[in-house]
Amino acid sequence: MSEVDMAVIKPEMMKSYIWLQTADGSIQQVEQEVAMFCPMICHEVIQKGMGSSKNYAISLPQRVNPAMLSLILDYCRFHQVPGRSNKERKSFDEKFIRMDTKRLCELTSAADSLQLKPLVDLTSRALARIIEGKSPEEIREIFHLPDDLTEEEKLEPLKNTTDDPRIRLLNRLYAKKRKELKERQKLKNIEVEEERVDDRSVDDLLSFINGDNGDSKGIKNSKSKKKNRRRKDQQKNTSANEAIKNHNKEPNGLNQVCHSAEVGQKVRAGVGATSNLHDVEDDIFDNKNELDDGDIDDEIDPALKEKIDREVEDFARRLNSDWPERMQEILSFGHERKPVHFSLNGNGSLRRYANSEQR
Amino acid sequence: MRNRKAINTNNEDITNILPEECISYILSLTSPADVCRSKLVSPVFRSAADSDTIWGKFLPSDYYDIISNASSSSSSKLLTSSMSKTQLYFHLCKNPIIIDNGTMSFGLDKATGKKCYMLGARRLSISWANTPRYWRWKRVPESRFSEVAELKEVWWLDVKGTIETKILSPNTPYVAYLVYKFSSSRYGFEKKPVDLHVELGESDAGRTFRIFLDPSANIPQFSREREDGWMEVKLGEFFNEHGDDGKATCSLREVDNYTPKKGLIIEGIDIRPKDSR
Repeated sequence: MSEVDMAVIKPEMMKSYIWLQTADGSIQQVEQEVAMFCPMICHEVIQKGMGSSKNYAISLPQRVNPAMLSLILDYCRFHQVPGRSNKERKSFDEKFIRMDTKRLCELTSAADSLQLKPLVDLTSRALARIIEGKSPEEIREIFHLPDDLTEEEKLEPLKNTTDDPRIRLLNRLYAKKRKELKERQKLKNIEVEEERVDDRSVDDLLSFINGDNGDSKGIKNSKSKKKNRRRKDQQKNTSANEAIKNHNKEPNGLNQVCHSAEVGQKVRAGVGATSNLHDVEDDIFDNKNELDDGDIDDEIDPALKEKIDREVEDFARRLNSDWPERMQEILSFGHERKPVHFSLNGNGSLRRYANSEQR
Repeated sequence: MRNRKAINTNNEDITNILPEECISYILSLTSPADVCRSKLVSPVFRSAADSDTIWGKFLPSDYYDIISNASSSSSSKLLTSSMSKTQLYFHLCKNPIIIDNGTMSFGLDKATGKKCYMLGARRLSISWANTPRYWRWKRVPESRFSEVAELKEVWWLDVKGTIETKILSPNTPYVAYLVYKFSSSRYGFEKKPVDLHVELGESDAGRTFRIFLDPSANIPQFSREREDGWMEVKLGEFFNEHGDDGKATCSLREVDNYTPKKGLIIEGIDIRPKDSR
């Protein structure tokens, strides 16, 4: 029968159909009320006027193959009837999802692409029940998955994508300690000229950390990455000193952790980049330093320097006394692959940590 | 992040059939313990398991209000406000935060996501606690609270804590523990047993157990050591259904008035889901 003939048929037989095409090219027509139960199809019909004839068949998403479409339409056909009781629906659902796991997955995927949420829920719950309580090997067996996690990955289930402020501060503390060790070894290498350059960098740092974005341009521009880690560590330490000095209103060690973390946030905001704090620090310090060595703290008024040192020591002491065991937890929560880099070997372990963060 | 999705061409492999978001959704319908286990299944599962939609679902629905209540002296407020839901979940499992003016701590049970609370000693009703002759309040570094109660000497020992069931997780069996230690000069607890009691709401008579807190040899030891170095003894258990049972009351008493007791240091009462830890 041609489409024209269809128009003169008796009213009882006048049913609207929607034309659907699956990814394999086959086209079928489906009763309108059944097809419209799927939000995606509904959208195509109403918003785009598609589906009214074979030539304008609605292209279904790739994940819907003919077998899945058939299942989905069975589901829709049952549930779109308004008069059914909850008991009937539940009973139908229970029988409906009795199929092998692979089909259940395909059905979930297909229903998801058609945005048919009730069916997605139904199949997802069935799959969740299958997964519950099983060991990883059992799950792999059920879903035919290869065992391709590395040993390392198996041992470290937690992914740490955060820049935990406590760990940053911990690193600063360690940097400070390393600096002290080096100071004792290298007191003779200070060059007078460098002091002047350092002076500016300290001031710049101060204003930068204080959120004064105007002065930060000079710091922002340089992208040269020098390899002198010692210098970086020393200057990172200075930044820590300044940070702590600027926020020393409350003597509470824990509060200082908070405030220093806030400073960290500010610096990040000032640069306006999404790089983490270590990146920012690297940029700042590299720009200001073409020197081999340089004991920056020599620039600061000795009395002030002492005060800063005392405060950092105080902070360190409080940190350690308040959080003896929590420190261990911080370290393990922070998901370190190489615990060795928290030791004071002075070989730029700070940098190694920074690299793993940037990964 | 290494992407291994492209390599696997196994037709049966569901990770080729289901997009990662679907896997995350399915995992969110299991339990926290299941999701953690699933991280060891395959790289795709691992990635799907780290989704904030999953852990956001496992966090208690009122977690934000609870955290906002955190005492400002702790760093927890800043940290938790900058964390993702996934990080927050695991953070609360390991690091209970202090809330309610420093009188209570709040955390999560890792395997289930259910709420755990510890009532600090200051929040308990301890008879004679404010009389310096009998009890002393002191600060110890190993306590999460600012003060613990130390028993100098008392005849009437009555320690009671209550918790509103509406702040607990629904449909959960809970157990209450007294968290304590003994000082070097303890006395009386090996002579006299104590009564441990938990009751729920007004109409429940509850159950009482009588045990020796400091048993001599050959007498069963009911206390055990906690991970944080304190001891704990189970006071009792109760089932919280909808949170509308009023208060759960937990107590430890020894009130026969004939035996002096000394040297008990109380950190608080820990209330957590049964079979956790």
